[in-house]
Amino acid sequence: MIVRRLLVSMPALIGVLFLCFCLMKAVPNDPALIIAGADARPEVVAGIRKDLGLDRPMLLQFLDYIVHVAQGDLGRSIISNKAVSEELADTIGPTTELMLGSMLLAVPLGLVLGTLAAVQRGSWLDRAIVAMSVAGVSMPVFFVGLILIQYVGYVWDLLPFTGRTGPVWDGGLPALILPSLTLGSVLIGPIARLTRTAVLEVLGADFVRTARAKGLREWRVIIHHALRNALIPVVTLVGLQAAFLLGGAVVTETMFSWPGVGRLAVGAIVSSDFPTAQGAIMILALAFLFINLLVDVLYVVLDPRVQRT
Amino acid sequence: MSAVASPVAAAAAAPASVPTPVGRRSALAVRLMRDRVALVSAVVLGLIVLSAMLAPWVAPYDPYFTDLAIAMQTPSAAHWFGTDNTGRDLLSRVLYGSRNTLMMGLAGVLMGGALGALLGILAAFYQRVDPWIMRAVDIMLAFPAILIGLAVAAIFGSGLTAVVFALVVSTVPDVARVARGAAVGVMGQEFMEAGRAVGVPDRTLIWRYLALNCVPTIAVFLTLRFGQVILVGASLGFLGMGAQPPVAELGMMASQGRDFLFMAPHIAVIPSLAIFAIVLTANLLGDAVRDVLDPRLQQ
Repeated sequence: MIVRRLLVSMPALIGVLFLCFCLMKAVPNDPALIIAGADARPEVVAGIRKDLGLDRPMLLQFLDYIVHVAQGDLGRSIISNKAVSEELADTIGPTTELMLGSMLLAVPLGLVLGTLAAVQRGSWLDRAIVAMSVAGVSMPVFFVGLILIQYVGYVWDLLPFTGRTGPVWDGGLPALILPSLTLGSVLIGPIARLTRTAVLEVLGADFVRTARAKGLREWRVIIHHALRNALIPVVTLVGLQAAFLLGGAVVTETMFSWPGVGRLAVGAIVSSDFPTAQGAIMILALAFLFINLLVDVLYVVLDPRVQRT
Repeated sequence: MSAVASPVAAAAAAPASVPTPVGRRSALAVRLMRDRVALVSAVVLGLIVLSAMLAPWVAPYDPYFTDLAIAMQTPSAAHWFGTDNTGRDLLSRVLYGSRNTLMMGLAGVLMGGALGALLGILAAFYQRVDPWIMRAVDIMLAFPAILIGLAVAAIFGSGLTAVVFALVVSTVPDVARVARGAAVGVMGQEFMEAGRAVGVPDRTLIWRYLALNCVPTIAVFLTLRFGQVILVGASLGFLGMGAQPPVAELGMMASQGRDFLFMAPHIAVIPSLAIFAIVLTANLLGDAVRDVLDPRLQQ
């Protein structure tokens, strides 16, 4: 099952690489011309093109590109002249930290809110939670960020809101909270909404009645029987939302000057640093593929029934 | 059921609603009118769209006229939404900005929807090309919308066109899947077989028999999608990949206001609120339309 899933994601992987390759090729400037200078003689430019392998068939160039990528060679940044792979290596950690942080905040919060709403169905609490989750899905990420920066960061001066102060285990936690909360806000609403639906559905099931009939305590019934079954759609949802989370990460990093891949990509595009932009976009796309793969695997672990189909 | 909770609660409580086929448009309108949330959303969204369309006539000031003497004023009688950092009237800019933001979203949804629907329907009709189209769609799904926007902006430069292109590309694969699903259902119907048996040409079969029957499902999906597309478009604008100053676009305006957040928060907050209002009403309306038109989509 897992092996087959890996095979299925191969075309997507090649697609990602190919599009990134096209990104390199579609750049309006001829790299040979840049190296040779604008007033170089044509034969010099042709020589450089040959040295760079730009005169070979596209397919060969593409295969070459894959080999380079596999070796971790993504070219050099035009701006800093550092290897793109080095620049990326510095940013992957912070982005992972941010995504994990936001999930750690959003998933439990969404589960609790959704379960509360389902258990108290029809109450004012239920209505408030449902209304909040609808509002949450309609809110631009940057709006949440702006409000958190303005109040929690600036007016009340509770938490830092620019940059990263270091790893979490080394005093970096306060700086991580606001960005994670901003990014996580995208997820809380959908998770709460889905958990509510799933728990409501399960609460009416026979095995829940059996559990109650056995005389189990209500919270045990809800946590062990209802919530566990409700988790399956929630995991799928988190996977599906990975796209939004990655997109949101780009915005969040830019807002909070968080030194992650997204901010690197935006900065590189703004300053026309094509090799860096291409590398950053590729890493983000690969991360997306990887998250989806992870979700599928997790799905099998949580719900053994999937394996058989 | 309460005003705020009803469409979502109805969606959550699932099989309660009865799947009655609604054929006539008037019936749809009547049922939507009965839903208070849908009614309020429709009115608010309608007002926003109308005022955005009529921006040149209803805007109280020139959205590009700067006057540093009145920069960063908070909302007042003369300037309902206050003024921005160069003294431009924010209400006028929000009206013009909504125009660009709405156009962007609409273009993305309509063009992406048309292209996706075509791909999905063709995949369902010609089974030979089905695996190819769906494989391509899977690959397209591997790129989140924001990434596509970044890539397009990297190649062609930032601008509204880049954002619209990204929105179209990111809408295509999802619509293609939904359209294919709907079309496969229709393909199994007897009238398709009958049409084929009496020798109706492929083109007529596709357009008059197949596509027309898929339209409601696709339309509902696109209505639900509109809000998300606006959000992505505004985010790209916020990142500086979209409309360039001095053109007004809500996401970009919020981003510019960010630089003056501590001195004049309203410059960033008001455009953000405008986006929120558009997306919220569009989402609520989309939910309600779905509940009425296609109860099966409720999950």
